Amino acid sequence: MLITLIRRELLDNLMTFRFAAATLITLLLVVANTAVLIKDFDRRLASYNTAVKTHRQQLRETKTYSAGKIVVDRPPNPLSIFNVGVDKRLGNQIEVSYAFVPTLWDAEMSGSDNPFLNIFNSIDIVFIFEVVLSLMALIFAYDALAGERERGTLRLVLTHPLSRGHILIAKYIGAMLCLLIPLMLSLLLSLILLTTTSSFSLGTSDFLRIGGLVISSLAYLSVFYLIGLLISAATQRTGTALMLSMFVWGFLVLVYPNMILAMTHSSEHLKPRAESALNQMKQMWDEFDRERKHFLANDPVSGEAIYFNVEWTTGADCYDSEYSAEDASTFLYYYQVEMQMESFEKESEPNVSYVQDYFRFLCPRTINMAEQTWLVRKPALEDRFIQPATVDRLLLKLSPTGLYDAATQAWAGTDLPGVQDFFDAARQYRQTVIDYFIDNKAFEVRQWFTADKKPVDWRTLPQFSFQRVDVGANAKRALPDVCLLLITNLALFMAIFLIFQKSEV
Amino acid sequence: MIWHIAKRELYDNLNSLRFALATVLLLALMLTNATVYLREHLERIQKYRTSVTDYWNVLTSRTDLYELAQKGPGFLYKQPSPLRFCAEGGEAFLSDRVDAGAFYWEWGDLKGFWSLAYPSSTPNLINVRPDVTKIDWGFIAGYVLSLIALLFTFDSISGERERGTLRLILATPMPRHTVLAGKFLGALMSIFVPFTLAVLINLFVISASGDVQLGTEMWWRLCIIFLVAVLYTGFFIALGLLASTRVQGSAVSLVILLLTWVTFVVFIPSTLVSIASGFSPAPMTSDEFWERKNQFYDKLSGEYYIRGDKPLSKSDFVTKDAEGRERLSQEHLTQQIAQVEFVRAATRISPAALVQYLLESFAGTGFNRHLQFLENVKRYARQYREFVIDTDRADPDSPHIIGVREGMSRKPVSPESIPRFEDSLSLGRDFNDAAIDLMLLTLVVLVLMCDAYLAFVRVQV
Repeated sequence: MLITLIRRELLDNLMTFRFAAATLITLLLVVANTAVLIKDFDRRLASYNTAVKTHRQQLRETKTYSAGKIVVDRPPNPLSIFNVGVDKRLGNQIEVSYAFVPTLWDAEMSGSDNPFLNIFNSIDIVFIFEVVLSLMALIFAYDALAGERERGTLRLVLTHPLSRGHILIAKYIGAMLCLLIPLMLSLLLSLILLTTTSSFSLGTSDFLRIGGLVISSLAYLSVFYLIGLLISAATQRTGTALMLSMFVWGFLVLVYPNMILAMTHSSEHLKPRAESALNQMKQMWDEFDRERKHFLANDPVSGEAIYFNVEWTTGADCYDSEYSAEDASTFLYYYQVEMQMESFEKESEPNVSYVQDYFRFLCPRTINMAEQTWLVRKPALEDRFIQPATVDRLLLKLSPTGLYDAATQAWAGTDLPGVQDFFDAARQYRQTVIDYFIDNKAFEVRQWFTADKKPVDWRTLPQFSFQRVDVGANAKRALPDVCLLLITNLALFMAIFLIFQKSEV
Repeated sequence: MIWHIAKRELYDNLNSLRFALATVLLLALMLTNATVYLREHLERIQKYRTSVTDYWNVLTSRTDLYELAQKGPGFLYKQPSPLRFCAEGGEAFLSDRVDAGAFYWEWGDLKGFWSLAYPSSTPNLINVRPDVTKIDWGFIAGYVLSLIALLFTFDSISGERERGTLRLILATPMPRHTVLAGKFLGALMSIFVPFTLAVLINLFVISASGDVQLGTEMWWRLCIIFLVAVLYTGFFIALGLLASTRVQGSAVSLVILLLTWVTFVVFIPSTLVSIASGFSPAPMTSDEFWERKNQFYDKLSGEYYIRGDKPLSKSDFVTKDAEGRERLSQEHLTQQIAQVEFVRAATRISPAALVQYLLESFAGTGFNRHLQFLENVKRYARQYREFVIDTDRADPDSPHIIGVREGMSRKPVSPESIPRFEDSLSLGRDFNDAAIDLMLLTLVVLVLMCDAYLAFVRVQV
């Protein structure tokens, strides 16, 4: 009997105009946008590849250790096609220097040719599902019970020896099967497009992630169908059910996310804790600076110049630059010297050892200072940036749309933790670089600042490689949100069941 | 007779659930808009004022003409529009200043001169909070009001047909166009009432706070913005009437309308941006830009090296260097602007994008406003350079060689004579910019209404 009911529901839904129209629109939108997004991804990948090549080239051309600028690039995430998250927006290249611990907030953006284009908002496939599929689910649901009641067929169905729960389940399964068709078809088409594009190399784990995306999409779809069913069960007339559904949809999908984030205030002022962190770092910084100046003052060469009167002969690539950065908004303090002398006057040779002494003294202290400030900086950054963002994301999750968005971002690895993974890798790589420097005694040898004998051979430097976390980690991040979606489903179903049980025909 | 029908429609709607829901939704949105705006606007104004004062203090503290000519006026700031609550216009992504004092190099006693540099950084790089569309009037009108308009009209003809009352109305000696016009007016008025109420409360909250002074011009702008929003609502009402006339059942009409709405309002603007930006010629990358800049400088300094450091060649070098740098920045900027203009032209297919641009223009925010600001900056830069030359010329003791210290007037410059940068909004110019968009929107609404009329005339009951 249940099967008969499901079949009836399915046929009823499949033969309607709304099914055809909605499927067509979803397919069109998804396919058109996938094509556009693939093109966009190709562009990003190309610019990533060029950036990697240029950075390697630049490093190889550097002749001293201190002038070597090791920059690592964040590859674009291929699954950003499904949900772009923060993948495209946050910095994608970071300098790995012994002088400071790299974070997301020190990163720069390469490859965006036109910053003005940021004023337009961009979309991804999940956004299409968010908007269209939820609308579709509501359109399918609003007259499921109210319509039958109006037409009087509900009375007819209930005359059969069937429990009301069965009727609900039949309706739910029938409609969900129907809604699955546009979802699966469009995903399939976009996957076909993806796999036929040469720049995409999707592995097994990527398909597992996409599987996770599909499950989240199903749960999301089901939430909206159940919301529609709830409204339909609670109202007497289809007209009322329709209006309520549409307004609920508008509120949950369009209005709520934007309204709630407008309400949360992000103050420009630092909190006292951040303020104290800043002071602490400033003290460390002053201490470091004092030590450095003290060393310079007590050395045998007069003046505070760090090249100790080594007179280099003019030629290509002879420069020295020292810079210290103080950026209060991202709590960054560091001091770095770049020196690259090709050759110098014979008379200066005795002074070279002073320079060596200086760097032997300075570099380990710089590293030490970087480590120490990092201990203070990390919680300060969390306080200032991560915490408000977490609160925002939590508030967004009060709407199923926000939950769905968060879950799919976690599956795709384009959420904040996914991007942070890269910077964790960059921090690890910094340790590797420092170890490499220490192994090669880079801070003590002449090659730290001069290439008069032999330029540095950068080929022995270990390469940076970044692998996205495995599916398990993605699943762990996504699971809470998916579970919440499922719980919402259950709660809604219970509510509908209760209302429908008690309703009079 | 039109009024009769319109009144009936209005009364019908006033009692309906959708009217109540629409009113609540619009009121909530407008109140959010006002409170958020008040909070942010004060900070913005404060920041602008301190920046401008800083700029002016630094500039007037210089009395040496050479220093003034070499360092330039410094950062020039964009005046924030008090009507930002009407349209955010992506202001967060647009730079609020231009560096008119960029690039110093020193070569012995010779120093590089200032030139205009347009910041190209994305200021959003350290922000890890989730992306969000600001709730401005543009959002409220563009998304919410249009959806409400569709919900009010999807069954206005087909519903009557289903109930059989359409036959009754058409039996009266009323021409069909009167019936349609009455329906249109009725729907418009039913949306007009909650929208106007919400707008008035919004404006009341904003002006009652006393923190924002809106001048006469601003009120004119608000009137225009309001009218544009109403016109845009008219577009969706006409669309709703058209669909409702053409199709037999209300349910079908609603599905068609909602899907059209989703496509045109939500998706077309974003999708077309990506497509159009792919098709338009890409501007030079920043690497390319820097390379060309360096090449130019190398070439120029090579020439200077050959000519030797006579005062005249020094002056020539310095002026040409600044000019060349500025020309390159300008070229870079022009290419970027051309791409954005192309994209904006393409997205005008969607009425939602069209109305967004219109609101931006009249609210004095967004891209057009940014272009105006850049124009103001350029005009001021010219003025400033002329001022330096004129002051130098006025001094008979000066050798009149701009660019080197010994070649310029040594007389102290009085702070009053230095031109001051004033960034201002002009309604006339905004109107000119928006005229075509406005005409386009009106035209689209008219065409849709004619279409709906034709469909209704031929309708069989």
